Amino acid sequence: MGKKLTEKQKTGLGKLDNMLDARLETALNSCVHCGLCGTSCQYFLALGDARFIPAHKVDLVASIYRRYHTTVGKIAPKLTGARDFNDETIDEMVDTLFGACTMCGRCIAHCSIGVDIPHVVLACRKMLSEMDMVPKSLMSTVNAALETGNNMAIPTEEFVDTLSWLEEDLQMDLDDDNAKIPVNEPGKKILYTLNPREPKFFPLSISAMAKVFHKAGESWTLSTEMYDVTNYAYYSGNDEHAAIITQRLVDVAVKLGVDTVVLAECGHGSRSHRWEGPNWIKEEYPFRIITTVELLAEYIRDGKIKVDPEKNTMPLTLHDPCNLVRTGGIVDEQRYVLSKTTTNFREMNPYGRESFCCGGGGGNLAMSEYNERRLAIGKLKADQIKATETEVVVTPCHNCVDQLMGLNQEFKIGVEIRTLGEIVADAIVD
Amino acid sequence: MAIKEINGKQYEVDGDGFLQNPADWNEEVAQLFAEDDGTGELTEKHWAIVNCIRNHWKETDMAPPVRKICQETNVRLREIYTLFPMGPARGACKIAGLPKPDGCV
Repeated sequence: MGKKLTEKQKTGLGKLDNMLDARLETALNSCVHCGLCGTSCQYFLALGDARFIPAHKVDLVASIYRRYHTTVGKIAPKLTGARDFNDETIDEMVDTLFGACTMCGRCIAHCSIGVDIPHVVLACRKMLSEMDMVPKSLMSTVNAALETGNNMAIPTEEFVDTLSWLEEDLQMDLDDDNAKIPVNEPGKKILYTLNPREPKFFPLSISAMAKVFHKAGESWTLSTEMYDVTNYAYYSGNDEHAAIITQRLVDVAVKLGVDTVVLAECGHGSRSHRWEGPNWIKEEYPFRIITTVELLAEYIRDGKIKVDPEKNTMPLTLHDPCNLVRTGGIVDEQRYVLSKTTTNFREMNPYGRESFCCGGGGGNLAMSEYNERRLAIGKLKADQIKATETEVVVTPCHNCVDQLMGLNQEFKIGVEIRTLGEIVADAIVD
Repeated sequence: MAIKEINGKQYEVDGDGFLQNPADWNEEVAQLFAEDDGTGELTEKHWAIVNCIRNHWKETDMAPPVRKICQETNVRLREIYTLFPMGPARGACKIAGLPKPDGCV
């Protein structure tokens, strides 16, 4: 028998007890160790460490399940490969399930029996979260969002000043005083959201979308109370925190009386707010919620904005955010938009549902602890980009943008990284 | 926590290469960090931005928004991204010796 469990370890196991349902138990019992997932995982491909094979990650969690939830595991753990939930196991879980998994979901597509591997990874993150074992830098990003309303702790005044500064510039650029960036205006059709890195450090994408909204004649607003499209509590594995953040968005949308919430270009933000959110708050949303990618496709399809592909003739490729393509099935919309706004688009290989992660997913961009690994696994993406011989990489995700900027520097790719909104804004003709 | 060695000198940095101990910062360190991340030789404009970031940080304990940097240094927004290829956060703030900001940067 193993050592007596500490209170903290009991807390983690208690969380596992609570989470065990048919979905999780099926995932924990189904892996046949065929090994196909190995070469689907960027960590294993780039670093060659067998601990990073998705099947191994699943088994790490399943070995705990067997130890405490099966008869053989309880009596003779060694017979069934069950492990004690001790500090060594827990450290390995933090290292491989936070620090060596972007939850990109590529392994599910290649699993011979379709085990939802990231679901197992997330379940274990939830256990670790319950035990306060979330890596410090990821937790600090979640805490900033919970305490200040946005993950970069931007004060409201600073945010508002930045928006009016951008509005002034927009009016000059378009030579039109009616071009606005509306804030807290009730009764508008759309509530738009942002990734806090936009107002803080990269506001060109805000100006681009404001131009698109203006040219489309859209009725829209931002909110100072809740504009953050991210929800890092999804990655830290804390459903209560995630629900608080989701509820804020719902409350503001209801208060302002909008029809539609449009999520800024953000992979995990789209997944959290659109697909996970109703489960966290246990309620359907009383409004429509879509991603910016879908909105841009809609505007072009419906002729709300006029675009000319000749405005963007540089060779350009597209990086697909994992959460949009593999979770959300949003694959064709971004390609449709690029087909109408650019003339020299080249796919990476592989792309779409088979696409590799940028390397910064799963909260890894925020986790300084695993910086070296994050850049190392990004080499696959860097090589893919280089092979396209393009000048611009478009990606509808601000998190991917930052990781790609890092890869651009690290692997000397020599490209510019842009959002889809920026490409569309440049293609607009009156 | 990690040790970063540039030109034979060692600095304590976080996993992302941001300086751990603010007291370690000086202009020579800034120049070394700039060469290390591909920013290159720091010009007068670079210094204006670095100093603006440091002043704001000393006053408020936070990095300034890029708007403030533009307004106080008269450098145009697009030019900031050219001056610092890693951007205002992983580029300029790191060179200015600030800790890594939270969020998607």
